[in-house]
Amino acid sequence: MKQLFKKKMMKELEKEAAKQDTQGNTGQEQDNYLNDHGWEILFKKSHDFKKTFYVNQKTGKKFCFSFITTLIDESILQNNALPYLLERDFKYIEDVKKLIPIADVQISERNEDIEKKLFNGYVLLTLEGEEKCFAFIAAQKEIVRNVAQPEVEFSVIGPKESFVESMDQNLNLIRKRVPVKELIIENYTVGTLSHSGVAILYIDGITNTDNVDTVRQRIKEIEFDEITDSSYIVQLISDNENSPFPQLLDTERPDRVAAILAEGKVAILVDGSPHALIGPTTLVEFFGSFEDYFLNYLLSSFFRLVRLFAVAFSILITPIYVAALSYHYELIPKDLLSTLITSRREIPLPPILEALFLELTIELLREAGARLPTKVGQTIGIVGGIVIGTASVEAGLTSNVLLIIVALAALASFTTPVYRMGNTIRLLRFPFLFFAELWGLLGIVISFSFLLTHLIRLTSLGRPFLEPLYPPRITDFKDAIIRLPFKKQSLRPQYLRTENPVRFSKEKAKEKKDIDE
Amino acid sequence: MIAKKFILFIVVSLLMAGCVEKEIIDDVNIEMGLGYDLKEDDKIEGTVMIPVFNPDKRIGNFTFSATATSARDLLQEIQRKSAQPVVTGSLEIALFGEEMAKKGVIELIDSFERDASIGARVYLAVGEGNAKDILSGTYGNRGNAIHLSDLIKQNTDKRNLPKTNLHLFLFDHYQKGKDPYMPILKKLEAEIIDIVGVALFKGDKMVHTIPADKMFFFKLLTDKFSQGSFKIKVREEEEQAAIRDLDSKNKFKLTKRDPYSITVEIKIEGIIREYTGQMLTPAMIKKIEKELENTVNEECSTLIADFQGHGVDPIGFGHFIKSKTRGFDFKKWEDDYKNLTVHVKTDAKITEVGIVE
Amino acid sequence: MSQQPVPERLQISPFLVLYLIMSMQIGIGVLGYQRIIAEAAGYDAWISVLGAGLSIHIIIWMIYKICGTVDGDIVAANAYVFGKKIGNLVSSFFIIYLLIFALAVLRTFIEVIQVWMFPELSIFWFSLVFLILAVYIVFGGFRTVTGIAFFCIVLPSYLLLTFSFALKYADFRNLLPIFDHSAKDLITSAYKMSLTYIGFEIPLFFYPFIKDAPKSQKWAHLGVFLTTIIYTILAIVTFTYFSEDQLAKSIWATLEMWKIVSMPFVERFEYIGIANWNLIILPNICIALWGSSMILKRAFKLRQKKGVIILALFCLIAINFFDTRAKINFLNDWTGKIGFGVTYLYIPFLFIATMIVKKVKNK
Repeated sequence: MKQLFKKKMMKELEKEAAKQDTQGNTGQEQDNYLNDHGWEILFKKSHDFKKTFYVNQKTGKKFCFSFITTLIDESILQNNALPYLLERDFKYIEDVKKLIPIADVQISERNEDIEKKLFNGYVLLTLEGEEKCFAFIAAQKEIVRNVAQPEVEFSVIGPKESFVESMDQNLNLIRKRVPVKELIIENYTVGTLSHSGVAILYIDGITNTDNVDTVRQRIKEIEFDEITDSSYIVQLISDNENSPFPQLLDTERPDRVAAILAEGKVAILVDGSPHALIGPTTLVEFFGSFEDYFLNYLLSSFFRLVRLFAVAFSILITPIYVAALSYHYELIPKDLLSTLITSRREIPLPPILEALFLELTIELLREAGARLPTKVGQTIGIVGGIVIGTASVEAGLTSNVLLIIVALAALASFTTPVYRMGNTIRLLRFPFLFFAELWGLLGIVISFSFLLTHLIRLTSLGRPFLEPLYPPRITDFKDAIIRLPFKKQSLRPQYLRTENPVRFSKEKAKEKKDIDE
Repeated sequence: MIAKKFILFIVVSLLMAGCVEKEIIDDVNIEMGLGYDLKEDDKIEGTVMIPVFNPDKRIGNFTFSATATSARDLLQEIQRKSAQPVVTGSLEIALFGEEMAKKGVIELIDSFERDASIGARVYLAVGEGNAKDILSGTYGNRGNAIHLSDLIKQNTDKRNLPKTNLHLFLFDHYQKGKDPYMPILKKLEAEIIDIVGVALFKGDKMVHTIPADKMFFFKLLTDKFSQGSFKIKVREEEEQAAIRDLDSKNKFKLTKRDPYSITVEIKIEGIIREYTGQMLTPAMIKKIEKELENTVNEECSTLIADFQGHGVDPIGFGHFIKSKTRGFDFKKWEDDYKNLTVHVKTDAKITEVGIVE
Repeated sequence: MSQQPVPERLQISPFLVLYLIMSMQIGIGVLGYQRIIAEAAGYDAWISVLGAGLSIHIIIWMIYKICGTVDGDIVAANAYVFGKKIGNLVSSFFIIYLLIFALAVLRTFIEVIQVWMFPELSIFWFSLVFLILAVYIVFGGFRTVTGIAFFCIVLPSYLLLTFSFALKYADFRNLLPIFDHSAKDLITSAYKMSLTYIGFEIPLFFYPFIKDAPKSQKWAHLGVFLTTIIYTILAIVTFTYFSEDQLAKSIWATLEMWKIVSMPFVERFEYIGIANWNLIILPNICIALWGSSMILKRAFKLRQKKGVIILALFCLIAINFFDTRAKINFLNDWTGKIGFGVTYLYIPFLFIATMIVKKVKNK
């Protein structure tokens, strides 16, 4: 099959060459130019590689375009390049720059560039007589998704733009928000196969250079073949790969990226990924939704506290249920005792199995819901939640009290604004359950100690992950568990060690008014 | 890889060997009430009350008894008769039959003290007649033990019963110069239990009782802050007034040594709940206040004299004098107590008379 | 001969010394010290608690003088005074001291669990999990150890509030008359406080790990002061809650006071309290393991990673030998005595010796 295909290709090419021949004068030298070059052999195996020959009408010199049809916009070639090259005085390859109205034209002599440029949507131009030299003409075909509403980090108030897969467009969205020359965008290419473009963004004079260096170095050191999304980068450059906690924050909101750049953090954009990465980050940042900044500080502080409570509740409530029912009946208030005992009366399973059964059911429902189209997914949720839940209580497999608890815990885990962290929280419950089964409340405290130690040891780009809780920094509490009004936010977070810690002058912002003035 | 294997090994072996004995709530018999009665040959009959949780949320009762010579054997006997292990952690109330209380209860209470799972807020009470009879009725629909403990709690918080529980009993028992007391319960009808008085202990033996109508005065003397209610008759008039004591305080003052003399100052702030006369004029209120003061003075003095006669000191005069004296000699106090003079000075104040005058 | 300076990224802020000292001091002794001190001085013993607490400040001052003079930790100080060989030998005694301390704390805590919660709890398995946790913490370095110390003071601090429930039953007349006991009684009970107070000597071990170490002295003093206040208040609450003969029978008076706590959602608080105590014990073990493995490294050039595991294994094996209440008491008594010897005899001695050597060397 392959062989056949190849033969067909060759024939076509020969035909094309013959066509060119009739236009120009034939000779030994010219024939040489029409021959294949060494670098072309592998390209020719792909059917979307094309090579076309033309003759300049004034000088009679032959020239040739090589390009990948799927990557370039042929109309650019037809309208902006070919007419000029055919009709004007085209003697030397250097003339291309003057002749055609395309800004991005590069001349190169290096064979290594060819592959990179061709696959970036450039057209390769060679001129008879100057075979060693190439001109690359930009003619990229842009298949771009429109800027859509953020879906993962939706907010009712505030901007409705979110990143798309094209890095240029994403950079455009950010540049618009930070229109200063200090915003530096560094570009790197990673992935031996994917050649993904990775951009590091920071604001010069604010961001600590150590942080930028860390990111730069880690990105340069990435050894991987195919990088399809920024999620790969998160895992490849994180401080501790074995931690279930994400150590870089990811966001799809350009406004959020702009905001954190101003704080003095580093952002990483990956071509082909609609999610930017932010670092260094802290644990509490994962529980702050970006919408918090659009609301009054009292409201957003309250919501943040609610979310933190929800997290603690979500992790601890099922283990506490198991611990209390298996070991600590003394703890249970006597009014609740009768409810609990009555609800567990017919159930053959011990509390731990009962809890595991329900927790796994919820996980199943979630997985099933996530893999199905939205509409069907909703149905599954309702079927699972109501039918399976009620049925298993009626069948005497689980107690209705536990059903309420597990459902609430699942609900609470979804309040986490960052999806990745929500997943982590759901996982954390299981070690807690194991220890609760083992040693009751004591086990819960032990597993909590393990978790605490893990978090203390964790770093994000070398900065402590648990800050401002530990190391305790009072000044950073202004935008952590609670959010103080903007007037109080005159300093950048301390743990970032920014080069310029002052965001704005506190004195100017402060207004003093007496009564009735 | 080795680390992962090691963790797996630990997890598995923890599950196999590290587990401790479970007490799953629906697989144990939760003992909530306990009763002790004295039988022939100094044997003790113990009655255990276990709530039965019915699907319709009504709580039934299940009691069973065992007889043994000591508290420790009793527990063995009870465990043997039970299909599921009997656990003591949720004990609400312990009752002692009258005979038992007269013989001494500290051996039984010691087992509560020693058992880490028993709380300090367990109520202790003397059952008039037989503890078993009281435990085997059916009162309310929340289970007997909870009913009885709620009964005592309500009477302590709002009415005339002084504060009692396991901790306070032990505190008084071990305190030099103070004697413990506990309420007396009586089964009036098949479904009604009443608090008929307070049992006074000397050491760990019940020696004397205070009837229910004197409990108000007793509470004024024992509890530093108390509430209660009391009905008085205004002497010259024919009117009667029911007074709800909202806030009362007592204060002891040592006025003289050799022989000791103590002044007890009682302050009562109350409201009038019921009044049989026509108009409550300010003059009338003054009269009621005066009457209240006189009654409290008289009744309290009588009570104290009564205690001195029986040689019990539930109010803790001995402890009070000790706190005022360096190197206090408790041996000598035994005699001094009989010669102690106590003056009661009451200051009563009626703050409200209800929404009509 | 000062030691090599510790790189800044491994150092801690001076104020964290407060948490380190408090977390090391508050451990297992606080669960039942009231009975022990009341044996001698009766209900005047709270004065002894206060007095003993104040005397510690002198020792803290000496520790900072010693460390400041030699600009290093205990190993450096011993080497400064005795020379390298004998100095290291003396330092290795501290490894044993810290190990016995850790052992006593862990074993007593297991005893508390066995008596109050799970009578069948296996000493071996619990110690194994606990020590794995401790080793995991120590592997994180001194900053992680400090972090644990910080959280293990801050998180369980709410427990202090629960003792207000006992105040409802307080009879302050129990404390009267004040000074009803002789000075000798008071001193005896102050001596008996030592098991409860020891732990404040740890700046000797981590002095080089403090940023601007001399600045941390005020925090060390504050830490000791706060512990003293907590112990004194707790002693007073206990004395008013129990009558004297009742307290004499209570082995764990602090835990028994939780029996009176009642909250709408929790019927019995002591189980939560004991589980929480796990957090308070944790820094004790971690700091002891870290300190002893640090000395091993400094004096005998043993890699700290290896040292910690060896010491933890030693604890894991040794703990199984203390299987009765009598043996545990024996262990605790000796920990108290050694601790007293180290803090009130050895440190003043080292202080004087350092000053003399300094004078001699300067001449």
